[in-house]
Formats: sequence, C-alpha cells, structure tokens
Amino acid sequence: MNTAATALDADATAPPRPRGGGVPIELREVWKEFDTKVKALDIVNLDIAGGEFVSIVGPSGCGKSTLLRIVAGLLAPSGGACVRATNARAAFVFQDAALLPWRSVLRNAELLMELEGYAAPDRRQRAEKAMQLVGLSGFADAYPHQLSGGMRMRLSLARAMALQPDLLLLDEPLAAVDELTRDTLQEELQQLWRKLNFTALLVTHNVHEAVYLSTRIAVMSPRPGRIEKVINVPFAFPRAPELRATAEFAALTGQVSALLRHHAVGGAE
Amino acid sequence: MNSARSPLPARLVAAAGQWLPPLIVAAGFLGLWALLTLTIYKGKGFLVPAPQDVAAAFAENFAVIALASLTTLREAAFGYLIAIALGILIAAVLSQSRILERSFYPYAVLLQTVPVVAIAPLIVLWFGYNDFSVIIISLIISLFPIINNTLLGLQSTPRSLVELFAMHRTNRLATFWKLRAPSALPSIMAGLKISAGLSVIGAIVGEFIIGSGGTQGGLGVQIIFAQGRMYTSLLFAEVICATLLGFLFFLIVTLISNALLGHWHESAS
Ligand SMILES: Nc1ncnc2c1ncn2[C@@H]1O[C@H](COP(=O)(O)OP(=O)(O)OP(=O)(O)O)[C@@H](O)[C@H]1O
Ligand SMILES: [Mg+2]
Repeated sequence: MNTAATALDADATAPPRPRGGGVPIELREVWKEFDTKVKALDIVNLDIAGGEFVSIVGPSGCGKSTLLRIVAGLLAPSGGACVRATNARAAFVFQDAALLPWRSVLRNAELLMELEGYAAPDRRQRAEKAMQLVGLSGFADAYPHQLSGGMRMRLSLARAMALQPDLLLLDEPLAAVDELTRDTLQEELQQLWRKLNFTALLVTHNVHEAVYLSTRIAVMSPRPGRIEKVINVPFAFPRAPELRATAEFAALTGQVSALLRHHAVGGAE
Repeated sequence: MNSARSPLPARLVAAAGQWLPPLIVAAGFLGLWALLTLTIYKGKGFLVPAPQDVAAAFAENFAVIALASLTTLREAAFGYLIAIALGILIAAVLSQSRILERSFYPYAVLLQTVPVVAIAPLIVLWFGYNDFSVIIISLIISLFPIINNTLLGLQSTPRSLVELFAMHRTNRLATFWKLRAPSALPSIMAGLKISAGLSVIGAIVGEFIIGSGGTQGGLGVQIIFAQGRMYTSLLFAEVICATLLGFLFFLIVTLISNALLGHWHESAS
C-alpha cells in the first residue's frame, strides 16, 4: 500500500497543483434559503486549515448536506462566501457510492479523470494505482452489482483518490455498510488521508466515526443549521483501532453525543 | 454462481424449471379447448372450431397465411422502427427543457388517448388505401409508450450521479451521452417491450380499415375475409399468427435488452 501511495504521489505526468497539506477552506457568514422558502442554513462560520479532517455532525435535516454542497460548489449560498483556492481539486463521495452500473470497476475508477479530460493512458494508470490503494486490484473487470456494499464504497473512494484531490467531501459515506466493514473502511480512510494529504470534510451521523477520524468536529443545531460548537479531537495520529476502546475515546464521544442531544432538545423548543 | 459456468445437468434442470410451467399451461388450455369442442360446442365448429380443424385450416391455407403474415410483419416492423426512432428523438428533445416538456407532453398524451380505431379511417382518407396508411397507424399506436418511458428514464437519473458530473464541470452533451442516456436504457427497453405488441395491433387495425379490393392483404384483411366466409377455423389460425407476430417482436426486444443490460441491471436477468 505504501509503495502504491508513493507512486501515485510521484506521478510526474500529473497536472500542476499546490501540494503540502490540502487546501484551506473558509466559510464566512454562509446561509442558505431554498426557493421553497425552507431555510436550511443559518449563519455558518468555519475555518478549516489545509490538511485538516473536519467532521460535521447534527440532527437530520439540519443542513449538513446543504453545507457540503455549498463547499463543493454545487449550490450557491444565499449569502456569505465559501472561500477556497480556485485551482483546488475537489472530489465528492456520496452515501450511495454513485457508481455507473454499466461501467466495469476499472472504468468507474477512471470516470472523474475522463470527465476532467485526462489522457487515456494516464487515466488507466492512475485508476489502477488507486484501485490497488483500496484493495480492489483483482476486480478491474467486474461490474458494480457484483461488489459488496463495502467494496462499492472502496471503489467510490478509489475514484476520488485517482483524481488526487486537494479536498475530499464525504456525505455519510459509511452509513450504508455494516459495522465491521465500517470500522475497516474508517481505518483505510484515515490511512488514505495521512498518505495523500488532502483536506477532508465529512458529514456523518456516527459520533464514533467523527471522533475516530477527525482533527475537529463541528456540531450543528437543528434546522436552520448553525454550528453550535467546534470540538478539538486531541488524539495523535496514526490512531490505532484500539483507540476506540479507551476511556478517553468514550469520554469524548459521550461529550459530543451529549451536545447533540442538548441542542436537539434546545432547537425543538 | 454464473449459469454459464454451472454443469450441464443443473442447467437442464434450470431450463426445465423455466419452460415446463408455461408448457403445462399450454397443454391444459389445448385440452380444455378440445374438450369444449367435443361437448358444448359439438357441431358448432363455426363458433369454436376444434384444435385439429384449426391446424388443418392452417395447413390448407399455408401460402395465404404466410404471405399475409409477412405483409403484416413488414408493416408492423416499419411502424415499430419508425416509432422507436421518432419516440426516442422526441423524448430526448423534450428532456432538454422543462418548458418544452410542459408545452408538448400533453399532446404526446393525446396520442395515447385518441382512439386509434376512430382516427384510422381519417388516416386512410389522407394517405390512401395502402401499406403506408397501415404503417402510420401502427406508428401512432406504438409511439406514446416509447416517448413516455424514454422521457421518464432520461429524467430519473440518480441525483448523486448528476451532481457528480456537475462537480467535474461536465457539459450538457457529455452528461447526456455518458450519464443520462445510458441510465435511461432500462426504461427505454421497457417502453419498447410495451410497444412491440402494440405495433402489430396497429397494423391489424389499419388493415381492417383499408380492407382489400380482392387483392392479397395482411392478416387483418385475411381475418375479415375469413369472417365473411364463416371460415372460423381459418380465422382462428390467423388470429394465432397475429398473436405470434406480436410475441416475436417482444422476444426480439427482450433478447436485445438482455444483451445490452444483462451485465449491469438486475431486472434484465
Ligand atoms: N434542493 C432543495 N430544495 C428545497 N429544500 C431542500 C433542498 N435540499 C434540501 N432541502 C431542505 O433543506 C433542509 C436541509 O437539508 P439537508 O439535506 O442539507 O439536511 P441534512 O442535514 O443533510 O439531513 P440528513 O442528515 O437527513 O441527510 C431540509 O429541510 C431539506 O428538506
Ligand atoms: Mg444529508
């Protein structure tokens, strides 16, 4: 895995891009009201340093996906600004893996590079490396429906990784896989993040996941969403899977859960 | 796993499991039919002829039936193929803009609600007592399901995939060919299956109207002849042939559909 990552990093044919810890993001007074008059986001301020791993947790419908879409550039905010380097490359990982069922695994891994206009040999080579990185090498010619849920998510990650993103946006990517697979994928995601050095913004309902992966956790209020609190996660990297069993880990997850509960109740009043 | 790789006996059992039930139904139906002609309809062959009489009428008039079937086949095939080309084209155009769709879709629905039997005489009046009118009638009756299903398919591309393509700045044309069109394929195929039988129905209806001034016509014409002569066993044979024609179209489309979708879509297997 290590060699694969180095190879991907060292790819000389890659288009020029800023390296060194991913791209910083600055959300300044961002809010969003839809045409339907649903106010999804109240004023949101958030500063994310390059190479950080920030998770967003909050009650259902509080505007987490909306926030992620704004950062992705898929939605324009009603007010405020999302500032990030204009040449930053962002990749989005969706909960449902969002694969093209008529394309083989390898051709799915190539998709984003194809859309971005990479040359065919280059894209084949990068897709193969990315698949190696997530342990899917033997499945190049399979079709998505032949993969398990966990493998589909790995493919979705590989597809994003092949693009060498500066920013990875993840919307509940592991919500649909079983717990054991989820733990494994969390570890793999952490390894990818540490090796490839991108900024990560993860939306999740799973507090354990947020604590295990993040450098910081943003806790949101119910709709219209605001960031109620940003919590530092002090555990050093690399984080071993055993961290999940420690008392410190339990204390922090307890703290985040309590915050979520508190604001859920507060928001309903 | 894959049926192509399992041993021959297992495949035979699987094939038997698939074909035996409908064959049993067919045998039961034939038996019941024969029984009826020996009891209630004894001596009333002009109402319900016995199976063997139908077979005899088929053999006796084989040349006429074969020629009539080919005529109907040709008309229905033309109507069907034009409907496919036109239907997909219309749906593709309508799918490009909400306003276009809102303006024209109601008239596409009219195509379905107008009683074809009622406008068939008008069409014959316009286009003459010939094959061309029959083709037009077959086309009209087959068109709507193709437009409707294609449009539905083109509009129900999963949101995450649309966003994925949008994130990587894919233009309209590329998004259409790489995403919307292939993901509409199962729906398009469903429309084609519905229209397969309809195109034959349309051709027969058209032939009823144009009749035939004593010249050789399609199955619709021959059915009217047989009725006029109270030659019920021949009428039965011709109705069966007309039914099989529709079935043949359906079969061909199903085979094409399975070949196209077999490796990626669950409903195709
Ligand atoms: N395109 C849209 N048009 C109108 N309203 C929308 C749209 N997208 C989201 N909303 C509304 O905005 C609010 C926030 O939605 P969002 O999807 O961001 O929530 P979420 O926090 O991601 O929820 P969940 O945890 O259930 O995924 C919801 O009330 C939703 O109905
Ligand atoms: Mg969401």
